[in-house]
Amino acid sequence: MKKVLIFGYTKTGREIAKLLPKNEYDLYIIDENPMRVAQANQDGFFAQHSVFSDDKLLVDMGIGADVSVLFCASNDESLNLFVTLSARSLDKELKILTLIQNQKDEKRMILAGANRTISPYGVGAIKAFRIIDKPKVSSILNLFARQSNKLSIQEIEIPKGSILDGLYFKDVSIFKEFDTMFLGILDREMGDEFIFFTKGINHKIDCGDVVVVLGSKENIKKLKEKIGAS
Amino acid sequence: MIARLFVSLAYFLDAFTAYKNTKQFIYNLLENPKSKIKPYFDGLIIFLVFITVFILIYSIAHELPDYVEIIEDIAVSIFIFEWLGRFWISADLRHEIIRYHEKKLEEKKHSNFIEILMIILVQKLKFIFSPMSIIDLLAILPAYRPLRILRIFLIFRLLKIFRYTKSLNSFFKILNDKKFEFNFLFLVAIFFIFMSSTTMYVFEGIGNNPNINSYVDTVYWAIITMATVGYGDITPVTLNGKIVTLFLVVGGFFILVLATSVVTNALSEKMEIVRENKLLSQANKLSNLIVIFGFGRMGQTLAQALRKERKRFVIIDKNEQSISRAKELGYLFVKADAGEYEVIEKIVFKNDVAKVVITTENDALNLSILLTIKAENNKIEVIVRANSDENIKKFKIAKADFVIFPYETVAEMAVEYIGSAVKFDAIDNILLHKSSITLDEIDIHDTTEMVGKTLAQIGLEKLSIQTIAVLKEGGIKNFIFNPDPDTYKIELNDSLVVIGEEKNILQIKKNIARQLT
Repeated sequence: MKKVLIFGYTKTGREIAKLLPKNEYDLYIIDENPMRVAQANQDGFFAQHSVFSDDKLLVDMGIGADVSVLFCASNDESLNLFVTLSARSLDKELKILTLIQNQKDEKRMILAGANRTISPYGVGAIKAFRIIDKPKVSSILNLFARQSNKLSIQEIEIPKGSILDGLYFKDVSIFKEFDTMFLGILDREMGDEFIFFTKGINHKIDCGDVVVVLGSKENIKKLKEKIGAS
Repeated sequence: MIARLFVSLAYFLDAFTAYKNTKQFIYNLLENPKSKIKPYFDGLIIFLVFITVFILIYSIAHELPDYVEIIEDIAVSIFIFEWLGRFWISADLRHEIIRYHEKKLEEKKHSNFIEILMIILVQKLKFIFSPMSIIDLLAILPAYRPLRILRIFLIFRLLKIFRYTKSLNSFFKILNDKKFEFNFLFLVAIFFIFMSSTTMYVFEGIGNNPNINSYVDTVYWAIITMATVGYGDITPVTLNGKIVTLFLVVGGFFILVLATSVVTNALSEKMEIVRENKLLSQANKLSNLIVIFGFGRMGQTLAQALRKERKRFVIIDKNEQSISRAKELGYLFVKADAGEYEVIEKIVFKNDVAKVVITTENDALNLSILLTIKAENNKIEVIVRANSDENIKKFKIAKADFVIFPYETVAEMAVEYIGSAVKFDAIDNILLHKSSITLDEIDIHDTTEMVGKTLAQIGLEKLSIQTIAVLKEGGIKNFIFNPDPDTYKIELNDSLVVIGEEKNILQIKKNIARQLT
């Protein structure tokens, strides 16, 4: 079980807590507002009230030890910044995702040590924009949403001894065979950046590489079995 | 009998397309603020007005050559045509008559000739006696030769130009709002003038002042003095007259000061409204407008994206700070409370609005805006932001076309991030426009040359563009996922949802557009 810490039981924090599968993640919540702590407890999560003055609490919660992901979901920009920075100084490997209110705060958060930033208003606005600008694209994207369950995007890590291991991409027709679409690859030989299919480079697939595919859930499941990654 | 003739004529005209087209053309030429030809016609009218007035001024001291007569004749015939056109399109009589007739049929009565005539008269007289029509008529009048004495009426042609200045109208409207103050000041002024001119006449009208020969002279003197103009052609000669003058000067000074302050006040109070009206009338000219309620963080990001794509939108917010931001960025905006029906009516219903996005942080307000719009016009697409998950359902019941719950969307992405980081990277890059990879749609219509070709043949594969799905007839009900680029043949009215490099997709779109021409 991965241990996940959410800082700030805000609207976003709450949605994340609700969406995380309970059997896969060990979820801890901290908030500086006792009302929200009560709300979290009421929703059935383990939550603790805290005031951030030093790193002790973060250490107590397991940062630098067994926590693997931290969400800074507070609405208070400076608190998020503070917690992100403190957590990063405790643990270099920790995955930190920080909520920002404004796109221009992204740089600051990354500098403080966040791996990723995310803004509900930015995401919401872009969603609205896509509905206006590209209605057909957004209707197709809806099929990928959690609720509709028709299509899905998934990542597949190539295991050792897989039939794809060591093959060149141009020689592979397995994606077409299962009516799935190859979107890109994380090629360990090329670094940590995700490479889209559009780059047109003929990659050698090795074990440990991660491919991302689109398709119906069923087909992807079959594809995974064939590759040996089920 | 005559009534039946009228009714059948109305029906005949209603079915006669050429008649309707001509009327529409005249409407576009004269009245339709959105038409392209109206500005040219307006320009012509303004030009004619100036040239005829100039001829009038020139003719006072000069002998005119004959051809000037012709210019005058042409101008007047165009003015007559303009007035007749406006007279014609001022009301759709055939609709009125048909409605009247059908109402009578329901009541099982016969149409009455007199009543039909009344309908026609009421509608058309209303037009004839409207201020603008009277101005137009006065502008034509001086052309009638026996009335050449009325040449001075030519000046009325200048009034025609008022039709084209909206700001002047709003200026008068502002002054109209201060009617009470003006009426009061006017009465006081009249009182002062009457008092002082009468006293003056009593003291100096008896022959001791050579410049005062009648009562009119003293009224003239009173007004000139009160207005602080004081020509000095009539001055008081007696002590009594001088005392009256002192009172008049002091009183006139106060009246002037008060009048000035009333006008200044009204202007500064109403300047905001005038500016807003100006923006509104700008919005009026746009078609396919997008209305954004709320200019908070979400509204701002949305506006930014829309501006980049050159979409036309107008922002509504009541918050002073948000509005001043919109002003700074040069967006079209209206400062108003969206909770009021009139605001929505003025901005949404009276304009050509295609889509509405409601982005405020208040769900109750969002719901009220949504319901107001949907109750009046179901065709406008509404995208609404929900701020709490319990309310998503309510928005759906209220017939919102799309509900966006930003916190959930973000949470979905966040959960994705711990589960499958690589996939998150991929999606994040595409969906948030962080890389050059983008999703787009390509519509195939009217391009018979593309029909029947495979996706590879139109060059998608060469440009590394993948087709995620083909939407049949552009709808989501019938679509093909992941079509084979070598075997799928494009049909008419297909829409392709594709993924690829932005510049490559642009290239394909250009190719398609070129084949169209």
